[in-house]
Amino acid sequence: MAKSDTPLLDELEKGKWPSFVKDMKQAAQKSPMAEDLLRQLELSYKDKIGHWKHGGIVGVKGYGAGVIGRYSDRPDLFPNVQAFHTMRVNHPTGWFYKTDALRNLCDVWDKHGSSLTNMHGATGDVILLGTKTEHLQSCFDDLSAAGFDLGGSGSALRTPSACVGPGRCEWACVDSLDVCYNLTMHYQDKMHRPMFPYKFKIKVSACANDCVASIARSDFSVIGTWKGDIQINQKEVLAYAVSAINIQTEVCDLCPTKCMEWNGKELKIYNEDCTRCMHCINLMSKALRPGKERGATILVGGKAPIVQGALLSWVIVPFMKLEPPYTELKDLIDRIQDWWDEHGKSRERLGELITRLGMRVFLRAVGLPAVPQMVKAPRTNPYVFFWPEEIQKEVK
Amino acid sequence: MGVNMSEDLKKQIVDLFHEKSKGDKKMFYIRDVTKWLPDVDRHTIHDAVKVLLDEGALVYWSSGSSTYLVLAEFFPKEEGSRS
Ligand code: HEM
Ligand code: HEM
Ligand code: SF4
Ligand code: SF4
Repeated sequence: MAKSDTPLLDELEKGKWPSFVKDMKQAAQKSPMAEDLLRQLELSYKDKIGHWKHGGIVGVKGYGAGVIGRYSDRPDLFPNVQAFHTMRVNHPTGWFYKTDALRNLCDVWDKHGSSLTNMHGATGDVILLGTKTEHLQSCFDDLSAAGFDLGGSGSALRTPSACVGPGRCEWACVDSLDVCYNLTMHYQDKMHRPMFPYKFKIKVSACANDCVASIARSDFSVIGTWKGDIQINQKEVLAYAVSAINIQTEVCDLCPTKCMEWNGKELKIYNEDCTRCMHCINLMSKALRPGKERGATILVGGKAPIVQGALLSWVIVPFMKLEPPYTELKDLIDRIQDWWDEHGKSRERLGELITRLGMRVFLRAVGLPAVPQMVKAPRTNPYVFFWPEEIQKEVK
Repeated sequence: MGVNMSEDLKKQIVDLFHEKSKGDKKMFYIRDVTKWLPDVDRHTIHDAVKVLLDEGALVYWSSGSSTYLVLAEFFPKEEGSRS
């Protein structure tokens, strides 16, 4: 048998699990780009260094985002990946496709690109990996004809994404799909024409399980929640008790605020202490349901550890009703982005800016009242919310 | 008046780009542009820059994570940068 070109990568085909090397080899059967990509990656494993040059072309008429330029630094060895640009395609909200839409998408990519895709990237977009500069516009035109558009990249509003929410999930407290789609359409200009200091991400989860990890991955997180009492069906609680789970140890003892009591017959919830974490509802979905008044908690500041360290989003609006056309939500987003745009340094994310200037300044600028739910951790200094003139007033 | 104002502003921005591009540095953040013109409203500058992008005087350059603006004549040919 012929000696393999890629002995190091071949290691990654071993084992029972899926392998990206297998997939790439399959694509390489018909795509010279995929073949050179494999060979360049093998060289990277050998040299222990990436062989990509970053950035450049944004490529498509009228757009400043959605194409991420990449070039090989060894085009002499791998001419087919001399240019290997990524196209970010705005995913259908909730990642629902009809098969013909998927087929069209793949046909476009077989025609213009390496045939390799990443379904889906961290932003939620369809990531089409590897096309040449001269294909960018025609690929975009074909994507448009198939009903697709590019997503955000660079210093723009990134493609908003949402959990599957009411599309499939009984726990949805808000219509995450509609919120996401509505914001996506409303903010087209901010996605396609980067004018921000840096990236800005919006993610929508319809309950605190936060399946899109909005709290960790977005500057502006929308997380479904409820007001009032968790709905209890005591008969179903009993059914759980005699069958599957130990209600005391698995439900009550793991409630983060210890606000549940179980006497063997009846479950009691002290709702005033419940933080609506979803734990008990997840375990006993037939017995417990979210309260009837539904809306969302709005949080800001989340980001991954690039430029500065990672941050989790924190609460700025404990409860907001979310109904189309989401005017209150959009007004808030506009005020926040405008403040960040005015004061943020280049490559400074919203959370970092608030940390630098303080919650007090942020809240005044966007016109939100200071409320206890904003305290990020117990024992952080609450006096941050007082302005000098207010203290003056008190002294008089 | 509005039209003239924005023509003036566009010219001002292009002139500033030429002036600032004299050295090795050719690529600027939108934030740099708003700093060059501290007396002009940010949003007005954004709008003027968008028109200049449409007209092709300025071009976007993106690393993928952040976006820069560059005079069309200085747009780097077919290459990326090591970062
Ligand atoms: C002039 C009188 C007092 C001053 C200036 C004062 C000052 C403070 C300060 C600065 C804190 C930290 C607050 C924070 O977490 O940011 C604190 C916490 C506390 N103080 Fe006082 N205090 C006073 C009187 C008292 C009295 C009379 C009691 C009890 C009878 C008390 C009990 C406590 C307790 C238990 C905490 C901790 C609260 C927590 O869990 O964070 N203090 N006090
Ligand atoms: C007899 C003198 C003092 C007493 C009895 C006292 C008592 C306390 C208590 C009980 C706390 C709360 C600790 C906690 O978080 O549980 C506290 C916190 C604090 N004290 Fe004092 N204190 C005294 C003097 C001072 C002085 C002289 C200063 C500053 C010059 C000071 C500054 C602070 C500050 C800044 C905190 C808050 C720390 C934090 O945010 O966690 N204290 N003090
Ligand atoms: S975040 Fe909640 S509502 Fe959305 S899919 Fe997950 S569990 Fe369901
Ligand atoms: S939702 Fe969470 S905090 Fe509320 S009662 Fe259930 S486990 Fe406790």
